[in-house]
Amino acid sequence: MKPLKIPTFQPRLKVLNREQALAIHAAALEIIEKIGFKMEHRDAREMLTAAGCSVVSSDWLKMPAYLVEDALTSAPGQIVLYDQRGNKTIPLINGNPFYGTGSDATFTLDVETGQRRRVVLKDVANFARLVDGLENIAFVMSMGNPEDVPVEDIYIHVFAEMVRNTNKPIVFIADSGRDIARIYKIACRVAGGEEELRNKPFLLNYSEAISPLRFPLNVMDKLIFCAQKGVPICLPSGSNAGGGAPVTLAGALALGIAENLVGLVVHQLAGKGSPFLFGPNVSVLDMKSTVVSYGCPEWSLTQAALADMRDEIYGLPIWAYAGASDAKVMDAQAGADAMFSIISSMLSRCNLIHDVGFLEYGSTSSLEMVVMANELIAMSRFFTEGIPVNEETLALEAIERVAVGEPGSIFLMDDHTFEHFMQAQFLPALLDRSRYDSWQEAGSTDLYQRCNAEAKRILAEHQVEAKTDEVLMGIERIVQGG
Amino acid sequence: MSDLKALIEAVIKGDIKSATVETQKALDSGNNAQDILDKGLLVAMDEVGAMFSSGQLFVPQMLRSAKTMQECIKVLEPFFQEGGAISKGKVIIGTVKGDLHDIGKNLVSMMMEGSGFRMFDLGVDVSPERFVQKTQEIEPDIVAMSALLSTTMPSMRQTIEALEQAGIREKVKVMIGGAPVTEKYAREIQADCYAPDAGSAVTKAKGLLDIL
Repeated sequence: MKPLKIPTFQPRLKVLNREQALAIHAAALEIIEKIGFKMEHRDAREMLTAAGCSVVSSDWLKMPAYLVEDALTSAPGQIVLYDQRGNKTIPLINGNPFYGTGSDATFTLDVETGQRRRVVLKDVANFARLVDGLENIAFVMSMGNPEDVPVEDIYIHVFAEMVRNTNKPIVFIADSGRDIARIYKIACRVAGGEEELRNKPFLLNYSEAISPLRFPLNVMDKLIFCAQKGVPICLPSGSNAGGGAPVTLAGALALGIAENLVGLVVHQLAGKGSPFLFGPNVSVLDMKSTVVSYGCPEWSLTQAALADMRDEIYGLPIWAYAGASDAKVMDAQAGADAMFSIISSMLSRCNLIHDVGFLEYGSTSSLEMVVMANELIAMSRFFTEGIPVNEETLALEAIERVAVGEPGSIFLMDDHTFEHFMQAQFLPALLDRSRYDSWQEAGSTDLYQRCNAEAKRILAEHQVEAKTDEVLMGIERIVQGG
Repeated sequence: MSDLKALIEAVIKGDIKSATVETQKALDSGNNAQDILDKGLLVAMDEVGAMFSSGQLFVPQMLRSAKTMQECIKVLEPFFQEGGAISKGKVIIGTVKGDLHDIGKNLVSMMMEGSGFRMFDLGVDVSPERFVQKTQEIEPDIVAMSALLSTTMPSMRQTIEALEQAGIREKVKVMIGGAPVTEKYAREIQADCYAPDAGSAVTKAKGLLDIL
């Protein structure tokens, strides 16, 4: 009989014990049972009161905990996103991490000049095409609100632009029930129909409640729309410590989770079994600048906590962030901030991880940051795979060949090295390990310059498989109001 | 007359209890309310503002100082002369129509109040009509608007147009701010000023009204 295989330990970061997870969950339930929440949507209020919520005054409701239990039971524990050609590319199951870009930035770093300027629609296209050509970036978001399209239809325009420039899954923003219906029409056109889209969704809506405990009308319109159509959605509130939420992380988590649970209950009442991606955004409000930090250790810590709570309690895949920075240019801080959140989100097994490529606390997008993150994700992935231990990797035969074999034997020449080095080592593409002289000969570039060149190369060379003219014309008609 | 050093220190520290005691002491020893405000509380707040700008204080500490000053003003209030200048100017502030975000707006409001402005907070989801109506009613020096969402920014332009149509645009200065708002946008819609954060909102508001 052969000996049993030695399983590979894949490093996994835990930041909460069970008692902590349960205590935060209990606090979240206490918030919605005892403090309540402001629900401005009449239909949502009616659904909630019919299900057992009590009305405190006009639009202020309280929710019994059993509604949460019901919703957690009916919401699917796995969400699968497909690409736009119907391939299963993002199975959000267990601790599978997938990285993607962000949305709604006002500025971008111009790839030619390096200058910060307002976002235009062409930038949305460039980010989508770049992501299409990057192996480790699994989904796209718009990365910006362009100034050259009418603001009332801004999310329709950016969605159409993403569809034209990538086939990867899309996480999209909408303003209200009005534009989300048109975005949905575009998505159906791409997928080939409503039923096809429901079966193989390539999109997920990102909407936000407002901390503390406010659920605006337009946001609930979108939530109910998605629940009814089976479009996956996440509903993080900005329960940032010291901003929308208490300054202490436990309280901020409890509040954000409470808000998510209310959203989940409305969602499951409107569309039982529809997919809901769990989790608030819990960063910090910086106590000097009052910006919401995109590079702080706290956000990485709270989403790691959320992953633990997913495993202990909720059983729903979670929303997260990584690969962003508060730095204004892609400097050493940007690299440090980005890597901190990328490796920790992977080690803690967050699921759908957005905001890759942001600078300036999410106000500026950078193609170079996305390119850098692509490599940092690969690096983190290598680390997270762990160390396979077996006869092949222990390599005793190779050791023997080199140690006591023919004189002059070296590992570099051994067949074992040739056969294994591609898997056994992380082979960087942009991180520089060249000898000083060759680095100098190649132009003494820093990582920003190399990422800039790589971004330009991909934009020039990468071919996105185009949609048919018929689909593209159909999309254009919808964008133009048809 | 006593000097106000202990009061100034207590306000800078955000020690509400000591500050109100010192305010009472200053009154008891013959200082008039206006002097206590001008040479005590506002001097302290200027110092707090300077310390914040140079990175020596954090926002919660500055807001505690502002709260401390407000508590001291409550002690002084009965003693102000008719028409006593307790205000650098009147400001109405609100988050524009369709937008329910208020953290930034509240922070601006508190910081401006802390520096001596008289604030009238209209809350969130404030329509152009309501801004106009309140401007007519309160006759402020400044109308301040906030928006967090790109999609609600057009309401800033509509509010400025509504002020024009009501014939009161020239009577007020208009300030705007919020995450998606830019200097360029402020120029486009002919706002008088754009402030990127709460600290600069105070400085810029003073600039608009020619207050040092």
